[in-house]
Amino acid sequence: MHNNLTRIQNVFGFFTSVAFAVAAVIAVSVVLSAQSPSASLQLRNVQVVKGRPHYYSTKREEYAHVKFDLDAGIIHPPPLHCPPNHSLIPLHLDLSTLFNWNTKQIFAYITASYPSSDPSTIPRSEAIIWDAVIPATNAPAHPNTYIHPPLSQSNARPKTKADRLAAQKPYPPGKEPGILKLASQKPKYQINDVSGRIAERANATLTLHWNVQPWVGALVWDSRGTLGRWQGLSGGMAGFDFPALKGTEVKKEELRTETGGERNRGSPA
Amino acid sequence: MDQLLDQARSIWEGEIDFEGQRLADLLTYALLSLSGAIAFLVGFSTQDIYQTLYIGLGGTALTFLAVVPPWPFYNQHPLPWLQARETGRVALGTLGLEGISVEVDGQRVS
Repeated sequence: MHNNLTRIQNVFGFFTSVAFAVAAVIAVSVVLSAQSPSASLQLRNVQVVKGRPHYYSTKREEYAHVKFDLDAGIIHPPPLHCPPNHSLIPLHLDLSTLFNWNTKQIFAYITASYPSSDPSTIPRSEAIIWDAVIPATNAPAHPNTYIHPPLSQSNARPKTKADRLAAQKPYPPGKEPGILKLASQKPKYQINDVSGRIAERANATLTLHWNVQPWVGALVWDSRGTLGRWQGLSGGMAGFDFPALKGTEVKKEELRTETGGERNRGSPA
Repeated sequence: MDQLLDQARSIWEGEIDFEGQRLADLLTYALLSLSGAIAFLVGFSTQDIYQTLYIGLGGTALTFLAVVPPWPFYNQHPLPWLQARETGRVALGTLGLEGISVEVDGQRVS
């Protein structure tokens, strides 16, 4: 510590140690904040069509277009088998309790998983049909932030500036991050099987998952079990069967996917 | 010129005495630990991670300001150099090295 340089080095060295220690304590402190996520996920419609699902291949394969309702709050026990085209009551998704002071953003996604034709040798398939990046309120804005669709037709054209700002948020106006109310939501991705056949596969399940991305600390995924103050997710599952190949003509509008921010190369949809 | 260079060197080096170094060490650890602890506690109670960041960085900046420049209170116990002493027969005598002759390049020095 006899000259300026050594003092600078010593202070900076201990500063990095202190910063690391504080970050470690912050990462562990999230265990103390209670969580109670809830969701209600219902299948709205599923269609299986034969066509060209991948731009890089001319191979014609069967692919599925799965629409769903997502909500949280009131939990309805999901029926195990919903026939397609059955319209169900949409409810609420509530991940707001997952946002503690160390949460930077939450990546929520819905997968469709189904068993293979030979479960003893071929593992279960799981494909994501929809996802959303939901940042915390104090996180800096970035182009891939999810923008919650308007709840009704009248809200689709906001009049005042406050309404316009509220419409650009990843949650419905007046709510907080983590609340989602989606009715008849189009998928972002159309899924297909590696074999090229996805029609008439039974025992498929739509499941909600999430990944909490912290400011400092470990990544945490969704869980169904309870750990201390962290309750597991209740609800958020829906069983269905893939229907037969659509014989009659399917309108192109019905097969449109939800275009998120990434589709528009950075600018929000 | 030499004196000017010496002054410049002193400013660049920023020397402090040993007691001052001990104090600087103590202040580093105390100030940084304290700022880390306060940063975490304030952030946790307000549930705002930006508070932790600002208080932590502010405390670190304060520590740099308090420790790095050679403030006067770090130089309260200077240790002066000893006076220069002659090396001659008398000096050698006091050291008990009377019989020694020191030769450099063939010439006797003392």
